[in-house]
Amino acid sequence: MENSSDVIALITTLKMAALSTLILLLIGTPLAWYLAKMQSKTKAFIEAFVALPIILPPTVLGFYLLIAFSPQAPLGEFWQQLTQSQLAFSFSAIVIGSVLYSLPFVVQPLQRAFEQLGEQYLEAAAMLGATPLDRFFSIVLPITKTSFISAASLGFAHTVGEFGVVLMIGGNIPEQTRVLSIALFDHVEAFDYAQAHLLAFSLLASSFVLLAIIYLLTNKRNNQNQAKVTHG
Amino acid sequence: MANLTLDIIHQHSNFTLTVKQQLSTQGIIGIFGHSGSGKSTLLRIIAGLETNSVGSVIFADKALQNTSQSLFVSPEQRNIGLVFQNSRLFPHLTVADNLKFAQQRCKSATLSLTEIIELTQLSSLLSQLPAQLSGGEQQRVALARAILAEPKLLLLDEPLSALDQHHKINLLALLKTIQQQLKIPMLYVSHSLAELQQISAQLLILSHGEVIDFGNTHQVIHRLNHDKDHALINQQTSLSLLIKQHHSQQALTQLSLSKQQSLYLPLLDENQHPLGSQLRCFIFANDISITLHEPSESSIVNHLPGIITQLSKQSTHSVLVTVQCAEQAFFVLISQRSQQKLSLQKNDQVFIQFKASAIRTLAHNHHFIEE
Repeated sequence: MENSSDVIALITTLKMAALSTLILLLIGTPLAWYLAKMQSKTKAFIEAFVALPIILPPTVLGFYLLIAFSPQAPLGEFWQQLTQSQLAFSFSAIVIGSVLYSLPFVVQPLQRAFEQLGEQYLEAAAMLGATPLDRFFSIVLPITKTSFISAASLGFAHTVGEFGVVLMIGGNIPEQTRVLSIALFDHVEAFDYAQAHLLAFSLLASSFVLLAIIYLLTNKRNNQNQAKVTHG
Repeated sequence: MANLTLDIIHQHSNFTLTVKQQLSTQGIIGIFGHSGSGKSTLLRIIAGLETNSVGSVIFADKALQNTSQSLFVSPEQRNIGLVFQNSRLFPHLTVADNLKFAQQRCKSATLSLTEIIELTQLSSLLSQLPAQLSGGEQQRVALARAILAEPKLLLLDEPLSALDQHHKINLLALLKTIQQQLKIPMLYVSHSLAELQQISAQLLILSHGEVIDFGNTHQVIHRLNHDKDHALINQQTSLSLLIKQHHSQQALTQLSLSKQQSLYLPLLDENQHPLGSQLRCFIFANDISITLHEPSESSIVNHLPGIITQLSKQSTHSVLVTVQCAEQAFFVLISQRSQQKLSLQKNDQVFIQFKASAIRTLAHNHHFIEE
């Protein structure tokens, strides 16, 4: 049945998005922190590099990744030696692709939040004996909580919605790299519009709900900040 | 008593702070200077928050920074407290949690949370968030929080500057109490000499990134009276006097200047200023005048006989006259014209006189003048 392959595609998509989001938070947080504190000119170049996926056609990114992932390229070769399997057209490949593709959506909100947070509370915490790690978990994380939530949600949603990168480096292997957006494309190619509608509409609706939650959270935080300003 | 030895140079764009000074940290040391004199930077260097200063900082025989040995102890390991100008309370934590934050990270934790809350009168605010507090309340919490970390040295960076007069007086009194009860040595930075005059035993003067004087507060203020180039302060006589009597009928409080001599100022609150306690006060040189004979029929309450020990011409057609009255030197600013008219000379016997209201103290709200 067509449906069951779509369910598999949904599971693959969720797996990919969840794993990518996790990796994005792990990489994006220190990167955003570093960028927020950085003052040299190199900062602009790193920022530009991180922001590239926003304006670049995903197929450009996908094309270069495809080349880098091939067994002849150093990265692909290294991966093959490490895991005894090919990197291109694998689940790992689409996760790596997603991480790069969604990086700005995680790094930018976090960077803004860290910049806004500034040094003042961190200095105060240091003077009370809090170590850098302690300061991160007891001050930075709770104060910038909503930014983390929106960064993670944006990263997740953007990964779910990607098409070009996955198409280039993933191929269309069921249970491996066949994700929702690709399944949708397949349905359209096969003129199965009913099934395509179902997929398209569920993607649309779930994305809308996710974004609405993010904006509700952000607005609430902004209102709170405003209240703080008028109060103090 | 621990020594703080500073030998540091800090450069930031076209400003250079150079401090080479040993301080025996006892009681409250005031650090006075105008904005841009480098006083906050100095505190931040001692705290370990300025990583690009060069030189050495040694406190209680422990090196906190020594650039030549690439030694830099991070702020969280220095056991030094800092109360900032803006309280910097953690916005996501209640007052109680802000206090606990400090206590939980304190290795010794010998102070009782309840006692400090009582001392700083915070019990009614514990469940509030910082944004719900007034400026004075925020600074009280910040002070309590800093104390609960049990620092070996407490730095205060203009802790009162954002507060109104009433809160300033209360917090200053609280600081004094804390100092007396807990014996934490403090470095108190301010651009208000009146604040420092009230609270500090020793005074360090910073000007354009350099220490220009350090010593006993009254003596330093008196030396600054003669500092023509800098014109750092309003010339004044700085005093610590014993409270002898409250004359509520006459609305005057009597201060003992010497065994025989007294000064009078507008009545102080008896509860806050019990008999026998010391009062810090000051008299602007502008508010004192000189007569050759004892004024017998005058509305002016305070007059004292004295001997002129110094006359120094000021740039503004005025003369700063130092008059020694028993043990105490008074500084009087008169015009050159008056000096000529009275033909005042060194070693002349004169009388100085000033109104009760010329004696200024923080206790008198309306007398407190921000410089």
